[in-house]
Amino acid sequence: MIFVQILVNGLVLGSLYACIAAGFSLVWGVLNVINLMHGSFIVLGAYLALGLYLSIGLAPWWSLAVAAVLFFGIGYLIQRFLINRVIAAPVLLSLTLTFGLDLIIQNAMLYVFKADYRSLKLDPALGSLAFGSVVVPVDRLIAMIFALLLTLALYIVLRKSRVGRAIVAVRVDQGAARLLGVNIPSIYAIAFGIGTAMAASAGTLLALTFPIAPVASYAFLGKAFVVCVLGGLGSVPGAVLGGLLLGLVETFGAYALGPEFAVMLSFGLLILFLVVRPQGILGRWGFE
Amino acid sequence: MTFAFRDFRSVGWSAAVAALVAGTMVSAAQAQAKDVIKFGAPLPLTGALSPEALKAKQGFEIWMEMVNKAGGIKVGDRKMKVEIAFVDYQSNTPKAVQAAEGLITQEKVDFLFSPHGSGAAKAASNVSEKYKVPTVAATASSTQVFDQKPRYLFGTYTPNETLLAPLFPIAKRDLPSLKKVAIYTRNDLFPLALSQAVEQTAKKNGLDIVFNEKYAITALDHSSALSQLKAAAPDWIFVFGYTNDNLMIRKQMIDQRLEAPLITMLTGPSYPEFVEAAGVAGSENITGASWWDAAVRYTSEDVFGSTEGYIKAFKDKFGIVPDYGHASYTVAAVALQLAIEKAGTTDREKVRDALASLDAKTFFGPIKFNEIGQANSYDPPIFQLRDGKTVVLYPEATKQGDLRLGVK
Repeated sequence: MIFVQILVNGLVLGSLYACIAAGFSLVWGVLNVINLMHGSFIVLGAYLALGLYLSIGLAPWWSLAVAAVLFFGIGYLIQRFLINRVIAAPVLLSLTLTFGLDLIIQNAMLYVFKADYRSLKLDPALGSLAFGSVVVPVDRLIAMIFALLLTLALYIVLRKSRVGRAIVAVRVDQGAARLLGVNIPSIYAIAFGIGTAMAASAGTLLALTFPIAPVASYAFLGKAFVVCVLGGLGSVPGAVLGGLLLGLVETFGAYALGPEFAVMLSFGLLILFLVVRPQGILGRWGFE
Repeated sequence: MTFAFRDFRSVGWSAAVAALVAGTMVSAAQAQAKDVIKFGAPLPLTGALSPEALKAKQGFEIWMEMVNKAGGIKVGDRKMKVEIAFVDYQSNTPKAVQAAEGLITQEKVDFLFSPHGSGAAKAASNVSEKYKVPTVAATASSTQVFDQKPRYLFGTYTPNETLLAPLFPIAKRDLPSLKKVAIYTRNDLFPLALSQAVEQTAKKNGLDIVFNEKYAITALDHSSALSQLKAAAPDWIFVFGYTNDNLMIRKQMIDQRLEAPLITMLTGPSYPEFVEAAGVAGSENITGASWWDAAVRYTSEDVFGSTEGYIKAFKDKFGIVPDYGHASYTVAAVALQLAIEKAGTTDREKVRDALASLDAKTFFGPIKFNEIGQANSYDPPIFQLRDGKTVVLYPEATKQGDLRLGVK
């Protein structure tokens, strides 16, 4: 029975990881920008969910919509006016820029929210569902469902919408896309906006399950990084697979080898993939 | 007085002598004018340990304000104001050592406080030894920090083993069926030291350890370990980590419907923000221990006069009741102040000797150091959370209630 319990734990955790990584993967894949602010956007989304719940009692899965719209705007502006200026330069420059911006966001968060750990406690608490001796926490289940829906939505946008096709086109062949009249800076800004919106929306969901603090951002960023390498850059299904794989490896690894090895295993897997299959599980050009 | 410069063969010589004379005069003038004692405090103001550092800073600030309001530290027959130079070492231990050295060589501080926690305090203690600067460690509880018998380092925390050992006889008395113990620990210096201390004490008390695992510092999820822990059905669960970990673990325990007669967590329960984040129901009946609690009562010879005096002063300035994170840093400063007053001078060697022979009543408890420089003069309180408030179970003198069993 403990095997089933750990499987369930792993799948739920993996879905959350997928959601953390999807936006990061998109930005990295399309813009070739390693956005070090990603973790901070997740934390900001969590604070937004906390603020909306405490002030007007809005449940986190509804603040997801607010976060998505608000942070799309923020991401769009950051890309349009800051990162687009260095996007043609070597990747180190955009990495440095996002690192610098992240330091600003981090310290602003420390100043505004303080370094204390907060948590979003729903009243009444959601509790957990029990199937025999297997227990599933309801808040994680909800977060998992919304995380998968959100990732599915991203997939559909990229596949079906005009903007989505333009993003994929830019990803596959920038030169050809420009010749066909795609406004590259604008598509970059939209893609970065979507990535930011995904991060903040993931944050609203994570607020239910993880303590919220400015210093938490690097842990999320680290997971996003591993998931992207496992799943393949820029691929939404890859992010889902990578997330689930990471969740399962961590939970079963913790069970078999002891919890102190869980994190080591995930980074060991990262190195293995970089050596054996650097393009990731679904590493193909483009999104489909 | 005339200098016969012509006696020197070269201009270089005369310039050197002139510089030397001028230098001596300037430093004499500085010594005359100096009416401030400067302390150095390397703190992890940013990074993972920043919550603790912000408390540390407040703990120092309340002391500095009170001392300066009272005219300063009494050194012989005059009063000297206090100044603390804070340096951020970004929760990075190698940087803490650099920060400590910079405070001594560049900021020219007279005395030093250790960086946060046992590991960083031990690392930085080499600097204090090298420059012979008396240093007080506010949060170094591992005996290993002092095992090389540092001459200039003094710690105001009693050893880790003293924290939880008194809870064992209480638990055995109130839960006669107590047999199975589980320990879940962050793989980090202080939590591991606690875990080892508890492991030994549990074995000494004839208890079985049915689960004993460590988790990595960056762990985000504990569901797998907790599922295993639950399967072991322990009577008493010990969780050792920092506030963030313990909040996350507590939440996942509730999620997995993990219950036990006794759950003890360190650190966390002693901080009001733990209760705030875990909720009253989520923290009910959790036991913990710390080196100080706002419920203890001592009269003191320090600037606060008593524990109540400290709490009031702190509340007036910051609007909250101090917890042990704040008080630990205040008492470190208090100990150094009392030693300077006792020595009657700011001479580092004499202050060091005064610290070694200190026997002072403080708002934190009586402070006296053993031969390796670690405090051994008070009983750290053990408490239980009830209705979101701490109820002291031990020591007898400040006891507020009996142990209650059952954590859901």
